[in-house]
Amino acid sequence: MKTLMKLAMVTTALMSISSMVQAKETVVWWDFLSGGDGVRMKALLDQFNQEHADSIEIQATTLEWGVPFYTKVQTSAAVGEGPDVMTYHISRLPLGVSTNTLGEITADDLASVGLSEADYAASNWQAAHIDGKQYAVPFDIHSIVLYYNKDKLKAAGLLDDNGLPKGLDGADNFKAALQKLKDGGTQYGISTGTADGATQWRIFYSLFNQQDGKFLDGDKFLDGDNLDKAVKAASVPAEWVKDGLAPATTEYAASIALFTSGEAAMHINGVWEVPTFTDLAAKGQLGFEWGAVAIPTFFDHPATWADSHSFAIPNNVGKEMTPEKRKAVMEVIAWMNKHSLSWAGAGHIPAYAPVRDSAEFKAMQPNATYSVLADTAAFDPVSKLAGVASPVYDAAGNYLMPAINGELDVQQAMEEMRDDLQGQVE
Amino acid sequence: MIKNRTAEVTAALILVAPFALIYAVLFIYPTIQMVLMSFTDAPLIGDGQWVGLKNYAKMFADRKFQTSVINTFYFVLLTVIPNTLIGLAIAMMVNRLNGWRQSLILALFFLPYILPVSVVYRIWNWMFDLQFGVMQYPIEFFTGQRIPVFRTPALFLPAVAFVTIWWTCGFNILLFLAGLRSISPEMYEAASLDNAGRWKQFTRITWPLIWPVTALVLTIQLILQLKIFDQVYLFVQGGRADPSMVMVQYIYVNAFQKSQGGYGATIAVALFVLIIAMSVLQFTALRARGEK
Repeated sequence: MKTLMKLAMVTTALMSISSMVQAKETVVWWDFLSGGDGVRMKALLDQFNQEHADSIEIQATTLEWGVPFYTKVQTSAAVGEGPDVMTYHISRLPLGVSTNTLGEITADDLASVGLSEADYAASNWQAAHIDGKQYAVPFDIHSIVLYYNKDKLKAAGLLDDNGLPKGLDGADNFKAALQKLKDGGTQYGISTGTADGATQWRIFYSLFNQQDGKFLDGDKFLDGDNLDKAVKAASVPAEWVKDGLAPATTEYAASIALFTSGEAAMHINGVWEVPTFTDLAAKGQLGFEWGAVAIPTFFDHPATWADSHSFAIPNNVGKEMTPEKRKAVMEVIAWMNKHSLSWAGAGHIPAYAPVRDSAEFKAMQPNATYSVLADTAAFDPVSKLAGVASPVYDAAGNYLMPAINGELDVQQAMEEMRDDLQGQVE
Repeated sequence: MIKNRTAEVTAALILVAPFALIYAVLFIYPTIQMVLMSFTDAPLIGDGQWVGLKNYAKMFADRKFQTSVINTFYFVLLTVIPNTLIGLAIAMMVNRLNGWRQSLILALFFLPYILPVSVVYRIWNWMFDLQFGVMQYPIEFFTGQRIPVFRTPALFLPAVAFVTIWWTCGFNILLFLAGLRSISPEMYEAASLDNAGRWKQFTRITWPLIWPVTALVLTIQLILQLKIFDQVYLFVQGGRADPSMVMVQYIYVNAFQKSQGGYGATIAVALFVLIIAMSVLQFTALRARGEK
């Protein structure tokens, strides 16, 4: 017993000495990045830990994307067991702020690591604020783009001299182009995940914002003529399906497979699928030349749905962060932003302007081609009912998706969607 | 024999205490909290204001809640009795086999049961996929067109029920097989000497003697299927969740996604009451049958 006591004392003493020598901050990190972008994030984390071998160590954990992630963050922060820093969808900030899950990021925090408003696109910066307070630092802008099969578009005379699609602006022109592609012997002019509410929401919201629609005005959903704009926006993809130019009720993965197998000449999906096509092409399994451009302008002016992966600091109740740790966390955030070029390999557009304006990024394809959408990005409505995995996304599955597949009348579906969401406003 | 009563009582208390404690902390206390929470406007985390019966008033007027109750009972109807009957039928067939053949067939039927629900979802969602699924061939052959089964509200719950039966039947087969084995073969021998046919043997010997197992399986199934969540949640992802919403899913949506803990708790109380009522009803009905 005595020896055991001695041993314990020695061990404790040793441990306290070693922690004094280290003086190394550990930063606990949570993210929801498990796909192709997860691999790239892992590489960034490793690089960070190597470069900061004697000052900061990030201990990273990857959790389930969507509602499970945001539930876990909320419950753990409430009892002071949350991480020191985490990835967060900027569209989900309203929920995090309303549940007191997020801590404010002050101007001093940003200044301490040399970040400022000038480094970010205006709409992106604005989306990181709720009621004038900043709760997140944007890391990327991700959106949807139009993927296209260069061989098929060329055969249909839809490519210009630079190999970029032409004549796709305007809803009628676009539909005519789809018809041309179909007449050329392709099964579908375009494939989208027509069985996936989230995909349809992203397309719908882009088209809706091209008409300057306001999905949520004050606390009114689709108020006044916004309903008509919504009907117009939803009618565009609904007509593609009705005329057999796009496949009906197609799962997310199947819609990609239709494009990669050449059965659809174009495809609308998130930029995060860029690695899928890059990798297939690199392995020589794609069988055609592909490209990606920003979503065409169907209505009045360019606008594309967008969201941001950002960094947020949880408001860990009863666990005050030391100034040293806070500095370390900000260091992590700033470093990631400044090294976001490799993150762009996952298809995303770096939020940090110096990287976005760098020669390296401008040489990066197809990102550079569609990076213009950083300036025309339309972020989700600011409400705790909106954003990733929110009631608005559910409503897209319940009303928008069936409308696009012809199961519901578009007008009626938009009215029901409005009434459902309005009923959830408290 | 002389016994020390005090010592016995003490021993009993000590032995029962761990269970009682765990039961109180992990079941009784949360249940009381749930009921209390249903009278507040609490978010997912933290306390709320006392709002009296407001949540209950809201619940009874809530169309989505009514849909979820109807769907839950519909799902119970689609699974409980079919699953029990199919389990019994397969068990009786397996019972007629001997030796390694029996073990092999039993293993094949039991195999799906050991799969996690996420794997079951992946398999069947892929098999029914509109563009690439293998099930679309028979569907197209019989109906003349491809059908997005899990995206058609009218087919959704029957399809999920079908998958659920495929998935969980193995366990019922096992229970029934144990029951069948406990029936003495001499009874069947005696019956066949008396010229009783197969159907007579089933109705007069097998069915009455297997009844306790049947009652058990029915009760387990009933409680299990009233709490249906996983499969419905997984298969509907991204689609029309509302028409096929079940009760636990609606609790999840309200409490976790929308952070309305109070209202979520209210629906949970409703489900709790329903399960108790149904179990008591069924137990009484089954016992009445058994005593006949």
